[in-house]
Amino acid sequence: MSQDALDTVVHAETPEGIAIELKAAGVSSRVFAYLLDFLIRMGVLYVAALITAVMGGLGTALMLILWFALEWFYPVAFELSRWGATPGKRTLGIKVVMDNGLPITPAASITRNLLRTADLLPALYGFGLLSMLLRRDFKRLGDVAANTLVVYQPKAAPKVTMEDVAPLAPVRPLPQAEQVAVIALAARASRLTASRLDELAGLAAWVSGDDGRSGPAVTRRVLGVAQWLLGKRA
Amino acid sequence: MRVDALAVRLRPRSYVEAADLGVRLCQHVARSVYASYLAVALPVFVLCLATFEVASWLPTFAMWMAKPWLDRTILFALSRAAFGQSTTVADVWNAQREVWWSQLIRSWTQRRLSPWRCLTAPVYQLEGLRGEPQRRRVQQVRSGKTGAGILVTSAFGLVELALVFSLLALCVWFAPEGMRPSLDVIFGAEGGGEWRFVMALAYAMTVALVEPFYVAAGFGLYLNRRVELEAWDIEQEFRRAQPE
Repeated sequence: MSQDALDTVVHAETPEGIAIELKAAGVSSRVFAYLLDFLIRMGVLYVAALITAVMGGLGTALMLILWFALEWFYPVAFELSRWGATPGKRTLGIKVVMDNGLPITPAASITRNLLRTADLLPALYGFGLLSMLLRRDFKRLGDVAANTLVVYQPKAAPKVTMEDVAPLAPVRPLPQAEQVAVIALAARASRLTASRLDELAGLAAWVSGDDGRSGPAVTRRVLGVAQWLLGKRA
Repeated sequence: MRVDALAVRLRPRSYVEAADLGVRLCQHVARSVYASYLAVALPVFVLCLATFEVASWLPTFAMWMAKPWLDRTILFALSRAAFGQSTTVADVWNAQREVWWSQLIRSWTQRRLSPWRCLTAPVYQLEGLRGEPQRRRVQQVRSGKTGAGILVTSAFGLVELALVFSLLALCVWFAPEGMRPSLDVIFGAEGGGEWRFVMALAYAMTVALVEPFYVAAGFGLYLNRRVELEAWDIEQEFRRAQPE
């Protein structure tokens, strides 16, 4: 796959010099993560208000302290937890990391959340949203200042069941990208319609020496190559 | 259609990630998209704003109604950009039958009310199907992903809302001393005619900025759907690898 094809990944390098791809999370997921967190905070405040209502002036003071603490330290506390994400973010499958993919540091978490004051200007997080729409890595201003990035959590790959076909050696050694594509075809074969599967296998028929032909028989041979690539031998 | 000519990297993504890919595409080809979109949208918005004389709520409503129709120009530019072609106003003009005048009534009625229109618009506009096959195809693309369409529509609805209020807030802050209105004047039932107009203007500016990103996010969902249903990413790889 050509490197310059358009994608949302941010390339990072670990201190050991390993290049990694981070999948930056954009506005659609982050808007809803924020809304969920907002609702959770409101819920907590509502319950607290019911309790402190009977305490008079002291209750009001406690309420204000709680409001302050929730507004400023709710995201920090959750981002520094082992999930690296607030409950809203976890629901949407995203978390906060440093630019190089490492877990977020306390200083960075505090910076990005204090800088929400800049993002929420002029109203309803206008500047933050604008920044998320216009920046390639979808950072809001707080992320820019703290060198943090909101990324999608890597998900465990779904379990695949492959049809059992006789393994078949490819006619010539395949480059890595093509090996991956042939195996991906075999893994997703059950989710494609039969005619579409034959069409795709026909495109890759040369790996099994069936250039220009297609059909169920060719498909089985191409899937056989996938089995061989995965290490199965007859 | 040559899938290997697609300028975006296809891989199975979660639907929110697919929407982000759309946003990224829109950033990348902003020049083409905004040139063709604004050439159509600005005259429409001026006409809409002119209806302020009839009723103060009419401009906002008219612009809101016009969105699915305006989206077609954006999608035209985006779909070409996905294959690495740039679009000029002349290209849109030459394709006006297909872009502007086809499916005109549905754009203004049924699709205006559809909360998942960003997902299905590419099927209607780009796949060239008619009648029953089109209905079945839309059903297939939508199945299980209607929620994703609604989610993206509401996310960008919220973005629009936030940006309209941001613009209004800026106007209030920077209003000269003595002209700063109270909230009653802006949102109240009586008076404040000029602030109603400022609101309509803020809405026009927001739609001018955000709509291409919204359409692009839907286009991203649609591309991801084709990866799921037709394994476009695998086809892309095979076609590139083919010894010719």
